[in-house]
Amino acid sequence: MITAELIIPILAATVQSGTPILYATLGEMLTERSGVLNLGVEGMMIFGAFGAFLFTYFTGNPWVGLFMAGIFAGVLGLLHGLVCQVFQGNQVVSGLALTILGVGLADFLGTPYVGVATTGFTPFEFPVLSSIPVIGGIFFKHDALVYLSYTLPLIFWFFMNRTRWGLAMAAAGEHPAACSAAGLNPVLMRWAGVFFGGFLVGLGGAYLSLAYTHLWTNNMTGGRGWIAVALVIFAFWRPGRAVFGAYLFGGIMAFQMRLQALGATLPSSLLLMLPYALTIIVLLFSSARGKGRAAPAALGVNIEPGE
Amino acid sequence: MSERDIINNRTNRNAFVHLPPLVRLEHICKVFGKVRANNDITLDIRPGMIKALLGENGAGKSTLMSILSGRFMQTSGTIYVDGTATRFDSPRDAINAGIGMVYQHFMLVESMTVAQNVLLGQEKGFIISPKAMEAEVTKLAERYGLPIDPSARVSELSMGEKQRVEILKLLYRDSRVLILDEPTAVLTPTETEQLFEAMWRMADQGKSIVFISHKLKEVLAVADEIAILRRGEIVDEFHESDVPNETVLANRMVGRDVVLAIEAEPVKPGSVVLDIANLSGDGMESLSLTLRKGEVIAIAGVAGNGQKELVEVVCGLRKPVSGRVEILGLDWNKFYPRPPRKGKSLAYIPEDRQGLATCKYLDLVDNFLLTTRHSFTSGPFLNRKEAAETTVKIIDEFNVQPGHIEGTARSLSGGNLQKLVIGREFFRQPDIIVAENPTQGLDISATEEVWQRLLEARNRAGILLITSELNEALQLADYIAVMYRGRFMDVFHKSDAAKVESIGLMMAGVTAA
Repeated sequence: MITAELIIPILAATVQSGTPILYATLGEMLTERSGVLNLGVEGMMIFGAFGAFLFTYFTGNPWVGLFMAGIFAGVLGLLHGLVCQVFQGNQVVSGLALTILGVGLADFLGTPYVGVATTGFTPFEFPVLSSIPVIGGIFFKHDALVYLSYTLPLIFWFFMNRTRWGLAMAAAGEHPAACSAAGLNPVLMRWAGVFFGGFLVGLGGAYLSLAYTHLWTNNMTGGRGWIAVALVIFAFWRPGRAVFGAYLFGGIMAFQMRLQALGATLPSSLLLMLPYALTIIVLLFSSARGKGRAAPAALGVNIEPGE
Repeated sequence: MSERDIINNRTNRNAFVHLPPLVRLEHICKVFGKVRANNDITLDIRPGMIKALLGENGAGKSTLMSILSGRFMQTSGTIYVDGTATRFDSPRDAINAGIGMVYQHFMLVESMTVAQNVLLGQEKGFIISPKAMEAEVTKLAERYGLPIDPSARVSELSMGEKQRVEILKLLYRDSRVLILDEPTAVLTPTETEQLFEAMWRMADQGKSIVFISHKLKEVLAVADEIAILRRGEIVDEFHESDVPNETVLANRMVGRDVVLAIEAEPVKPGSVVLDIANLSGDGMESLSLTLRKGEVIAIAGVAGNGQKELVEVVCGLRKPVSGRVEILGLDWNKFYPRPPRKGKSLAYIPEDRQGLATCKYLDLVDNFLLTTRHSFTSGPFLNRKEAAETTVKIIDEFNVQPGHIEGTARSLSGGNLQKLVIGREFFRQPDIIVAENPTQGLDISATEEVWQRLLEARNRAGILLITSELNEALQLADYIAVMYRGRFMDVFHKSDAAKVESIGLMMAGVTAA
């Protein structure tokens, strides 16, 4: 009954569904590691998806669209930075408002394009690696954005642990006063965190409008931004676990779609609920605090001027 | 403080004596609002020397060092580094000039390793190698005798080890002047010894060390030069070889000279309000005292000799381990944890007025209600209008400036905040008042007002005054108890001139002959 022909496509779909979540999770993780809690991921992601669609539609070049998705979401990130760093606003409130703003903007500006198709990224067999049995079928018959996402957790880890800037950024998230006592500028680090974190979130959005589908629809993200926020906590702010979490959710999404397609007798709304139910369960289990799983110590705490 | 005596066997403590001072502070003044935290301070910091700044809390030691380390800008005066006048706009400027400070609250990233903390902001190259970083820290640690595991996470270290990391941070940045702010407060006796040895080793290699403390023994043991600060001024400076003895130091530190005098007509003593017999434990050793209505008993002594523990027991913050404590005729266990709401009450005026006494972000009415809310309730409801009206009255009566009840507590200066706290506590018509360093950090006029209020309160209450200012004790008290290492050295009436004369000795632990 359960054969390779059934399993491999489901796992391949898992990778595909997990990829936008992975981008968004790593983006939010970067922002949070610098000490800024940004609950606007959902809004940034959909605004990025719209930016990607728009620029690909008008230029015909999905790479331009991809870059602009990062810029669109990154600019929203900077807006969050403006509220929190310049006006000392509450990070939770600002992030929630950012979600509403991002979703609203994408809906409003995107209305004329609903259902309009565009070019985008298409799957191709990765040379050599795609011919590996099983592995090749699961991981190496995707589009360029998926391949790019494989390198991201490694780059993320290397940046945070093996570069000067990563260390400074982590210090800004853990203890801004110590960071500034060391002669660094924690505020600048946080600006970088909100922008580049937002940029990555935007790439996740771009995946939805340029690779997952090749068109624009409203509510394209469907809560994936929120899942990313939960996954950062689930991953204990570590990129390796983020990969696991993203694919876990991707798997659930792919699985429930497959079940629907197979005509399962369960009501479809129940199946659609699965990823979100899993989010709650994951958060329940991972919020039990333990060694090495702590959030950045200064997460969500603004740096007051003069400190 | 360590029970063992620490022996300073540095042999070459004058190796660098021919060199000019690294840093010279000249006529430094620092004014916060109306309070002069530092007044005309001139101080030389020399290479290879350990300079101790000795003084009570609030004497201005930390302010002075914050100026030197670039955290505050002096109101007037000049800092010379290597003979050149220098301006520090930020700690970064001071670090670049080779001056670094180890704060009481460590500035460490807990989740990072020792090596990452030491090298933060000083890494060589964009890509960093943990191995190379750790090797560098090990080398540095060995050179100065500060053993540490460079790959350990800071969150796993003891307080003493964390302090070593802070010192290593400064050494890595080639700091020539290291300022240690009350470094032994967080250390065990063994760690204290290790710290002193490291300090001597650093001094031997030509570093200047400024050591801030209010512990006489340590200062005598470790320092080459001692400067005593009181009320923002340097009142004395000795070279290590000229140090007379602990008694003189203690006397100079707390000050016998009368800055301010007040008429204290004795009040006829009434009933006993506080009766303590053989209270021991938590560092206290068989303390006994009896306080009557109309009396002021002052507990004098250098801070950290058990005064805090005594206050906490009397005010219900700490359970007495052994001995009897009777408050207003009720046993401690009856009086606490729910003191009677009406009638009998005890008022506490804590030393920490911005933390324990008030909430800095609440407005004055809310702060007023913190301890008086029982007077403004009807059933489960709070009558805020009445409370606000009463707050206005208290503000007028006690001359709190600026007296806007919508303002937050943090908008008040120390003196005005203290007046608000006193007004609030007096409103409760207390039978006992526990006042802990009530005039610390206040200017002369505010001090006088506070003293006046306390003396007036004798008509209805007995007052337990904890003070590290000898003059305050002499001005206000009827009886003086001198505390040293958890014991009362003696309790005597202030008219006993011979005993008053020997308070300094008693504070240093010498029993009066």
